Amino acid sequence: MIYPDRTISNLLLASTTMVLLLGANSLAYGELKEFSGIEGRTFHEFMYRTDNCSSCHGVDDPVGYPEDGTCITCHSVDRLVEETMSESEEDRWQNPHDSLHWGRDVPCVECHGEHSNKAPLCADCHNFDYPGHQY
Amino acid sequence: MGKGHHDQGRRSFIKGVGTAGAVGLAGPMLLGSAQASNTQWDESYELVILGSGFAALAAGIEARKKGIERVVIFEKMPYFGGNSSINGGLFAAPVTPLQAEEGIEDSVEKMVEDQLIAGRGVAHRELLHHIATNAADALRMCEEAGAEFLPYLQQLGGHSVPRTYQTTVSSGGGITQPLQRECERLGVDLRNRCLFERFIQDESGRVVGVRIATRYYYDRDVNEGETISVEATRGVLVATGGFSQNIPLRVAQDPTLTEDIGSTNIPGATGEAMLAMFRLGAVPVHLAHIQTGPWASPDEGGFGYVSNYSIFNFPHSIAVAVDTGRRFMNEIADRKTRSDALLENRDDEGNPLPPILITSHAEAKKHPSAEKVLRYGVGWKFDDLESVASRFNILLEPLKAQIEEYNEYARTGEDKQFEKSMEHAKGKLIEPPFMVVRLWPKVHYTQGGVLVNTKAEVVDSITEKPIPGLYAAGEVTGGIHGVSRLGSCSIPECLVMGLTAARSVAGEMT
Repeated sequence: MIYPDRTISNLLLASTTMVLLLGANSLAYGELKEFSGIEGRTFHEFMYRTDNCSSCHGVDDPVGYPEDGTCITCHSVDRLVEETMSESEEDRWQNPHDSLHWGRDVPCVECHGEHSNKAPLCADCHNFDYPGHQY
Repeated sequence: MGKGHHDQGRRSFIKGVGTAGAVGLAGPMLLGSAQASNTQWDESYELVILGSGFAALAAGIEARKKGIERVVIFEKMPYFGGNSSINGGLFAAPVTPLQAEEGIEDSVEKMVEDQLIAGRGVAHRELLHHIATNAADALRMCEEAGAEFLPYLQQLGGHSVPRTYQTTVSSGGGITQPLQRECERLGVDLRNRCLFERFIQDESGRVVGVRIATRYYYDRDVNEGETISVEATRGVLVATGGFSQNIPLRVAQDPTLTEDIGSTNIPGATGEAMLAMFRLGAVPVHLAHIQTGPWASPDEGGFGYVSNYSIFNFPHSIAVAVDTGRRFMNEIADRKTRSDALLENRDDEGNPLPPILITSHAEAKKHPSAEKVLRYGVGWKFDDLESVASRFNILLEPLKAQIEEYNEYARTGEDKQFEKSMEHAKGKLIEPPFMVVRLWPKVHYTQGGVLVNTKAEVVDSITEKPIPGLYAAGEVTGGIHGVSRLGSCSIPECLVMGLTAARSVAGEMT
C-alpha cells in the first residue's frame, strides 16, 4: 500500500469512520495478526514493515509500554472525539473519548491494546455496546 | 497536517522516550518513611498533594488562591479525579439557595444531628460541625468553577429534610472535571501515573517530601519511569481516598466483606498512603466501619447507572423480598440499616436472593438515569403486576396486597409498616406501568482512616500533637462519620477538608 499525499492520521480516521459505519461486518479490520514475532493490529501493518518496535517504543527492544501520548503523535484526540460523538444530546457525555468522568484525558492504552485485546475502561461499571471498539 | 510535520513529531517523541528504560516492581517497595539527610531532591514544590479527587483538587485551587506558588498533584492512576470522578455527584449542604427556593428550613445543627444519629454515637461532632458550616461555600466554589447541578433537591436516606444537590451529569465527574480545569488554569501541576512510595522526614520528624515512582501502570503494578524524591517545603497533603478495593485489608477489618462482594470504587482505592501514615504515627480510627451501598445492582459493575436511579427513587418506591412479596425495610433508612436488611435476603443455602425495587414508571422516569437503566438492561418496565411477579418468581397475591397496603400509606402520608418519612412520597402511589431494578449491596466507602483535627492536620498517636508537615483530607481520614456515613455527605467533607488543609498550609487556620 502506498500513502501519497495523505497523512497517516487522516487515513486512520477515515478507516475509523468506516468501522463505525459498517459495525459488526468490519470486525476483521483491526484484528490481531502475527508480524515477525509479535502480534499487532492489522491497521498498523505498515509500521511493522518499516520501523518495527522503535516507531512507538523509541527503542528496538522495549521492555515496557510507550509513553502516554505516543498514539496521539499520529491520531488526533479532537478528531476521535468527533468520530465517536453521538447524535443524541442525551448521550453527549457517554463518548468514550470525551466522557463525563475524565473528559479527553484517558491515555489510549487504558482501552486499546496494540499487542493484545483489552476491554474498555467503561466496562468496569457499564454495559455499553461500542461496536466499533477494537478490543 | 503535512507528512513533514508528522515525521517531525515522531522524531521528537523518540528523543523523549529514549532514556526511559528503568522498570521496577512498584508494590513491595512501600515503606513508611526515609530520612531527608540522605536525600538528593529531584524536584521541589511548596505543597505536594497526593491523590486527585475532590479533596485534592479543592486544596490545589485554594492553595494557589492563598498565594502558595508551587503546587503539585500526584495521581497514581492513568486518569485524574480519583474515586470522586465516578461517584454519584450528590452533595448535601444546609442553608443553600435551593433550600430557600423550595422553602425548606434547615441548619448546620440539623445536618450534624442527622449525621450523628447515623454515626450511632461515635461520629466526630466537631469535624462534622466544621464541615457543615463550610459546605455551602464549597458548593459555591464548585459552581464558580463551572459545576452544574440539577434544579431540585433530593432527600436521601437518614436526612431529615431535602438538602442534597446533584450534578446534572449524575456523577462526581461533574465536579472533578471543572475543578481539574480550574487547577490547570491556576497553574497547579497535575501528574498522572505517579505512585506514592514513602514519606521523607527531616531529623525533627517533620514531613519534608515524598518518594514518587513515575510512569506507574496500576493494572500490571509496575513503574516504567524513574523514582524521584520530591521536596515539599510547606507540607504534604494526603488525599488518596479509601481502601474499598484493598480486599485483604478490608477483610481483615470486616471478615464479611469478602472478594465476591463487588465494590463501587475505582481499582486504585487501595489505601497505601493511609498505611504509610500509620507507620509515621498517625492514629487509626474506625477502620472496621466499612459501608456497603444499599442501592447498587447485581446486574452491572461498580456504581453503574442503577445506584443513582435507586437513590432518587427510594422515597417513593418499595423494596420487596422475592421470597415473600413483602417489604422488609424503610427504603430511606440510613445505608447500614438498609444494607443489613438487604443482605438477609438469601435462599436456604445462603445464596443471595436480590430484592427488587418497584416504582411507578411515571415517577422513575423523572431521573435522568432511568432511560439508561432501561437501555442497558439493568432495569425493566412492566405493564402489569402479573408480569413483575412472573419475571422475578414472586407470588402474585402477597405482592398485590403489599402494593395496596403501601398505597394507603402514600395516600395518608404515614408509613405504618416501617415509618418511612413520606415528605417527598405523599400522594405518589405505586401504579402501572412499573419500573423494576434488582438490589444487592456493594462495598462503597471506608469510614475509617487517619485521625485529623479541624485544621486537617494528621495527629500523632503518641504525642497527640499534629505530625509537622503532614495533612490529610477526604476518605483517607477516619472517624468523622462514625458507623454509617449519610449519603451525599462525602463530597462536602472532601471539599471542605481540602480547602481547610490548603488554608492550614497557608497559615490561615490559627
